Order: sequence, then C-alpha cells, then structure tokens
Amino acid sequence: MRWSEVISRVDRRVIYSLLTIFVILPFFYRIKIPQNIMPQTEKLFKFIDSIPSCNKAVLLSIDYTPQTMPECHPMAIALLKHCFKRKIPVLGLSFDPQAPGLAVEAFGSVVNEFNSTAKDNADSVIYGRDYVYLGWKSGRVATLIEMGEKIIGVFPEDYFGNRTDTLPLLTRVVNYKNIAIAIILAAGDYPQEWILYAQTRYGVKIGAGLTAVMAPKYYPFLQTGQFSGMMSGMKGAAEYENLLVKYGYAQDTGKAETAMNSQTLVHLLIIFLIILGNIGYTFSRRKSAAENNKSNNPRRSYEF
Amino acid sequence: MRQRIPLFICLTMGILMTAQFFIPHPLSIGFNSVINKWVVILSAFALVLGIGNLINHHINIIKRKKLERFYSLVTIISMGAMAFIGIFFGIDPGSLYQKLFLNILTPLGATMFALLAYYMASAAYRAFRARSIEATILLLSAFVVMLGFIPIGQYLHPHLPQFAEWIMRVPNLASQRGILFGVAFGSIATALKIILGIERSWLGGGG
Repeated sequence: MRWSEVISRVDRRVIYSLLTIFVILPFFYRIKIPQNIMPQTEKLFKFIDSIPSCNKAVLLSIDYTPQTMPECHPMAIALLKHCFKRKIPVLGLSFDPQAPGLAVEAFGSVVNEFNSTAKDNADSVIYGRDYVYLGWKSGRVATLIEMGEKIIGVFPEDYFGNRTDTLPLLTRVVNYKNIAIAIILAAGDYPQEWILYAQTRYGVKIGAGLTAVMAPKYYPFLQTGQFSGMMSGMKGAAEYENLLVKYGYAQDTGKAETAMNSQTLVHLLIIFLIILGNIGYTFSRRKSAAENNKSNNPRRSYEF
Repeated sequence: MRQRIPLFICLTMGILMTAQFFIPHPLSIGFNSVINKWVVILSAFALVLGIGNLINHHINIIKRKKLERFYSLVTIISMGAMAFIGIFFGIDPGSLYQKLFLNILTPLGATMFALLAYYMASAAYRAFRARSIEATILLLSAFVVMLGFIPIGQYLHPHLPQFAEWIMRVPNLASQRGILFGVAFGSIATALKIILGIERSWLGGGG
C-alpha cells in the first residue's frame, strides 16, 4: 500500500481511540487557555449586569434535555450565579418535558452553594422570594401569549405544587411587564417562538443560550437586535464563566471552561485528520491520474 | 356535515384569532385569554393520546414476540415506574424520582449524544475532501470557524476569531435569513390554505 493510501485510510478504531484520549486528557491536566470573549456573550452579560437589583425579574426558560446538558447546563449555572449575586429575582419554567429534572438540579446546586456561605436571611437565596420554578407546561404558544396577561393565570401551581398566588415573588411579577429579560436555554426552536409571540406582542427582551449546532440559525435575530445577547455552545458558557470571574462575581470558572479544553483538543484533532485525509486524497489522485495517462498513451512507456 | 362543521370552526377561529392579534381592546384580549386556556388544556389531552399510543405500540410488539420485545418491555416498565414514583413519592430535589432522572436518564442521554462526536470525527476525516471548488470553500470555512471558535485560534492568528465571527455574521446570516423568509412565506400560505378550506388533509381521508 502506498503512503498516500495509508494516510487516507486510517482505521476508525484509531480515530476513536485518539478522540477518547483527547477528550479525557484535559480533565486530568488542567490547561488554562484565556478565552476570547465573543460580542454576543458580552452583550448578554452586560444586559444582566445593568438590571437594577430587586426590581424586575429574569425569566429563565430551561428547555434543554440530557442530550444537550453538557453545553447548556453550565450556561444555566452561570446565569443563576450572576442573577443571585446581583439580587435579581429569577423565574424558571420549561416547555420541554425532559427539562424540569435538569432545571431543579441547576437551581438546587446554585442555591446550595449560595446558602452554604450566607451569613443571614437577607444574604440567603430563598424559594418564593428570590426564585420560583414554575415547571413544565404543554401548549407553549398559548402559554407564551397568556403569560403576557397574567403568569399565575396559566401557572396556578408551581413545579412543587405550591399555589403561585401565595408566593411573594409572583405577587410582584404579574406578567411580562415585570420581566427584564427572558433567556431561553435550548437546543430546539424554542427561542423563535418567544420572539414571535412574547416579543412581537408584548415587547419582552429576549436572550438565548443555544447549542453550537443551533446558534448559526439565530444570527439574523442577533443582527436585528431581537436578541439582547446570546451564548453559543460550550464556548458561550465558558465565556460567561470567564466574565463572572473578570467582574468579580465568581472566584473560579466552572465546568464549561474545563470542557472547552477537551473541545479545543478535539477540534485540533479533527482539523489534523481532515488535512491528513486531503493530503492522501490529493497524492492518490495525482498518482492514479499519472497511471491513467500512462495506460492511455502506450508510446510514452516505450520512450522510457 | 362531518367536513363542513370542522371547516366552519376552522374558518371562524382562524379569522377571529388573526383579527384579535391586531385589536388591543379588552374584549379581544379576554377572548384571546379564554382560547389560550382551551389550547393549553387540549394540548394536555394530546399528551394522554401520546402515552396511549406508545403503550399500544409496545404492547403489540411484545404480543407478536418480536426479537426487540425486551426493549419494549423496558420502555413500558420504565415509563410506569417513573410515573408511579413521581406521583406517589414526589418530585422534589433529592427525591427518588430526581435521583433516577439524574443518575440514569441523564448519563444515558448524554452518552447517546456524545457518540455523535465519534461519528462526526470519522465522517469528517473520510468525507471532507477538496474534490471541487465548492467543497474547498466549505472546507476552508469549516477550518476558520473551528479554529476561530476555540481559545487557541487567537494565538494562531490574532484576527482568526474575528474572521470566524464574520463568516457567521455575514455569509451564514444571509443564507439563514433567506431560509427564514422562505419558511415564513410558506407558513403564511399554508395557514391561509387551511383557514380558507383549500387544504383539507387535516380532516383525514386524503381531503
């Protein structure tokens, strides 16, 4: 076998093994590569940073599933940390039936982290006062429109079965007028429906945290200003974590930063493999073209 | 009659719901609110239908003693167990339901999705070849975006992240906007056809 054929036909088991090593390696050897912050992530961060404390709430629509959890979950954690540090109330809900379990986990882990260091009641993050998770609701278009009139009308009970009219936060947050921004963390078409029904009709500011695969679809909304910022994939989450550290809201970055190192190595491996494949392909093609010329022109072989 | 009544309801509701969107009168808002509540309740019924369908489908597979009947059995048992645990033991943080979700379903889901990375790496190596000018342009764009979107990109060239961002903001944006316009016009046309009774396949029987 020619060398060009060898490099263009690397066994898939070799590729899989290399990929596994490249994914696992950064979890043992932490590499710190400074993040280049994308403007859309900074825009979202600055927007949340400019919301007056204890005034309007941030609505977090947690619509990612276990499949896309590695990309979107660090975004939820980073956003919750930012809001709770700034004493901005958070209202959570989900339109994906698989999301509530992850939403409860995200709220639970951040709240526990805050309350473990809290000195008094005012310093703690308390359910019903500082945050509420409304849970999952079917018929999302109708729900989105109805929330513009009265949130408790469409969510009479929260995820845990509490009556929403008894929760202090929901006596202040009546409808979209009391929402500073709705941030949708999803891997599907959810943000578009928020723009169509909540923004067009009620003027709600929309932000998004999307998987890297979905993000390109939403650039038009970013350019028109319909999105007040966007986090794109694992990189977006890592950028937000870095901004939290930069502005003093966190002491260290989170899981996205570590996972970003794995992603960097994997991207480099894929680029290397594509180059390798193309070198092999180019040389194989040249060789076969030369051989074809020889067989098509027999006189040339006599010349040799 | 079986066709005319649904068509009449569709036409009336289609016109009323379109009109109310542009009329901010309290009567119109009240009407919209009532209809939205109906829609939420009706969507919940769709969930019941979905569960019924799923059970029916898998019971048929088990009855026919197909080779994959064990998977169907696992599906039905898992669904029943999660529903039972959730309804009778609660769904609060730290509950058995939450533990099962986070420790079984979440890693399984993440694993399934993570397998894509292996197929993508292998497929990119085998299929991403500069066979034509179009393929070469695609290849180069992918290189720039992949390198620009990882932290190391800025060290390879200081303008690489900006160039990657430009690809996303200009050529990608232009094509995405074109697709969005196409989808929007298509949706308007389909909605009008349904409201006016031209498109009747939703009534069943091939319309």
